[in-house]
Amino acid sequence: MKPKTSGKSDGRKWHGTVLGVLLVYLFLPVAGTLLFSLARQWQDGILPDGYTLQWYGSIFTDGRFLAAVGRTLLVGVITVIVTLALMVPVIFVLNVYFPKWERLLQISVLLPFAFPPVVSAIGLIKMYSSGPVAITGTVWILIGVYFIMIQPFIYQSVRNSLSTINAKDLVEAAEMLGASRMAAFRRVILPNILPGTLVASLLSFSMIFGEFVMSRMLVGGQFETVQMYLYNQMNTSGQAASAVVVTYFALILVLSGLVLKLGAWKPKGYRSAQVEEE
Amino acid sequence: MSYVRIENINKSYQQQKVLNDISFSIEEGQFLTLLGPSGCGKSTLLRAIAGLNEIDSGSISVGDRNITALPSKERQIGMVFQSYALFPNMTVFENIAFGLKMDKMKKSEYTPLVEEMIALIDLKGKENRYPAQLSGGQQQRVALARSLVKRPKVLLLDEPLSALDAQIRRSLRTEIRLLQKRLKMTTIFVTHDQEEALTVSDRIIIMNQGRIEQEGSPEDIYTHPASEFVARFIGSYNVLKRSDIGLDSLPDTELFAVRPEVISIAPLAEAPVAELGTATIEGKVEQLYILGNVIRFTVSAGGLDILVDALNNSTVHRIQEGMDVRLFLPADKCEPLRQ
Ligand SMILES: Nc1ncnc2c1ncn2[C@@H]1O[C@H](COP(=O)(O)OP(=O)(O)O)[C@@H](O)[C@H]1O
Ligand SMILES: [Mg+2]
Repeated sequence: MKPKTSGKSDGRKWHGTVLGVLLVYLFLPVAGTLLFSLARQWQDGILPDGYTLQWYGSIFTDGRFLAAVGRTLLVGVITVIVTLALMVPVIFVLNVYFPKWERLLQISVLLPFAFPPVVSAIGLIKMYSSGPVAITGTVWILIGVYFIMIQPFIYQSVRNSLSTINAKDLVEAAEMLGASRMAAFRRVILPNILPGTLVASLLSFSMIFGEFVMSRMLVGGQFETVQMYLYNQMNTSGQAASAVVVTYFALILVLSGLVLKLGAWKPKGYRSAQVEEE
Repeated sequence: MSYVRIENINKSYQQQKVLNDISFSIEEGQFLTLLGPSGCGKSTLLRAIAGLNEIDSGSISVGDRNITALPSKERQIGMVFQSYALFPNMTVFENIAFGLKMDKMKKSEYTPLVEEMIALIDLKGKENRYPAQLSGGQQQRVALARSLVKRPKVLLLDEPLSALDAQIRRSLRTEIRLLQKRLKMTTIFVTHDQEEALTVSDRIIIMNQGRIEQEGSPEDIYTHPASEFVARFIGSYNVLKRSDIGLDSLPDTELFAVRPEVISIAPLAEAPVAELGTATIEGKVEQLYILGNVIRFTVSAGGLDILVDALNNSTVHRIQEGMDVRLFLPADKCEPLRQ
C-alpha cells in the first residue's frame, strides 16, 4: 500500500503547487497595484521608498471622481430597476400562462452574446445617432445597452426561481382560493423569487460598474463613468489610477460578499427543513 | 335534479381528443371517484371543472348555477393538487388563512375558523411551522384544510396521495373519507389506483381514453364489470370467449369475465364430472403461488392462461406445477361483457 499513499501525497503536493502558482499569478497584480497606490515614490527598488495615503486623499477630494462614481451608481441603479420592472412580469406571465412562448424569449435574451461589444457599439451608434431617436452620446443609450447586457442574468435567475417553486401550481392554487392574478403574483410568487432576483441584480450591478467599452464608444467624455475616469487618470497619474482600481476592487469585494450571503439566504420557509416523522 | 351536473364536455389538444362527450352528475355530499389509467383525461376533466382549463363545448353546473363561463376564483370550488402546492413563504396558519384573507375577512373573523380547521386535521401545535418543516402527509393535510376552510361547494382532489408512501397513503385516504363525511362535502377524487377507489368512494366512474367506460357503486363495478377494459383494469379477472367456456346456457354475448375465486380446480385423475350449468376446461398447471391461505394457480389451457384462486385445503394442496387439472366454471358466475 506504500506506493499508493506516496502517490497520493505526491498528488496533493502537485495540487498545492499548482494552486499556489495560480493564486500568486492572480493576486500579484492586485498586490502590486495596492502597493503602488500607497507608495510615496517607487522608482528604483524592489519596494517603495515610503508610504502615504495621499493618492486616496486626492481622488476622494476630487469632485470629478466623486461625480463619476455618482453617475455610475445612477446608471447602474436605474438600469437594474428598469430591467427588473420589465423582465420579471414578462418572465412570470410567459412561464405560468404561455409556456410555449418561453423559448422565444430565451433566444432573444441570449442573442446579444452572439455579438462582440465593439460590433454592437458601432451598430448602435449608426442606429441612434440620427433619426427619430438620436440618443447617441447621452446617458439614455447607455441605459439601453446595459439593459440588453444584464437581461440574460436576470432572465436566467428569475426563471430558475420560478421553476424551483413550481410557480404554475402555486398560482393556480392561489386562484382557486380566490386570489386575483395580481394578488397571486404579489403574495405568493414575489416573496419566493426575491432572494434569487436580488443576487442577479447585484451581479448585474457590478458588471455595469466595471463596463468600459460601451461607455467609451457610445457616450465618451460627455458622461464620465468610473471606468472612463480611470482611463483618463492613467494618462496623468499612475498612482492615483491605482488608488481608483483598489477602491473599485474593494467595492466589488463587498458586492461579492453580499451576493454570497444572499445566495445562501432562503426565505423563512426554506430554512432548517427539519421534517418530523408522523 | 342532481347537485353537480357535467354535460357533454369535449376537449381536444391539437388533433388529440382528450375528453369525448363526458356527462355525469353527483348528488350533494357524495364522494365520487374518477378512476382510470394515466393519460386517460382525468386531470383535464378535473381542471375543466375547476376552471383552470378551457373546454371546447359542454356545460358545468353546481346547485342552480351554471359555472361554465366563470373564472376559477368565482366558482366556489376547492382543489387539492398532487404536488400540494403549499405556499413556501407562509406558515401552516397563513396557508390555511390565505383563502379567507382573499375574501376580505378580518383577522378576528378568520382566526377561529383556521384554528378549528387545524384541530380537525390534527396539526395543533404546528401552526407556525413552514411547509418545508412538515412531512408529505402533513403537507397534504394542510393543503386539504386550506381548501376546506372556505367551505367550497365542491372539493376536487387530483391524485392527492400518489406522492406519499404506501402506509401514509392508506391512513390518509381513510382520514380524507371521514372528514368528507363529517363535513358532508361533495367531492370528486381522481386516482389511477383501483384499490384506493374501491375503498373510499360512494360512486366510481371509470374512464378510458377520454370516455366513460362504466359508472356505479364500488360493489357494482367490482362484481359486474361492464367491459373487457374494466374487467382487466379493476382486478385479476379472467376474460374468456364464449367458445372457451362452451356452454349453451350463457347469455348472448361474445366475452365473459370470470373471477379467479369462482373457478374450482381438481387433479384430472380424480376430478368429478361436471354438474349441470357448469363448464369444464382441462389444462396444465404452469405456476402456483401461495398467498396466505389462498393458492393462486396459473393454468394453461389451449393457448389461454387462466387464473384460479383456491383455498389451501388438503385436495388443493396435492396439486403441483406441471400436473394436469380440470377447472369448473359455474355459468351464473360468468359476467357478460359489452365490447
Ligand atoms: N397542455 C396540454 N397540451 C397537450 N396535451 C395535453 C395537455 N395536457 C394534457 N394533455 C394530454 O391529454 C391527455 C390526458 O391528460 P391528463 O388529463 O393529464 O391525464 P390523466 O390525468 O388521466 O393522467 C394526455 O394524453 C396528455 O398527453
Ligand atoms: Mg393526472
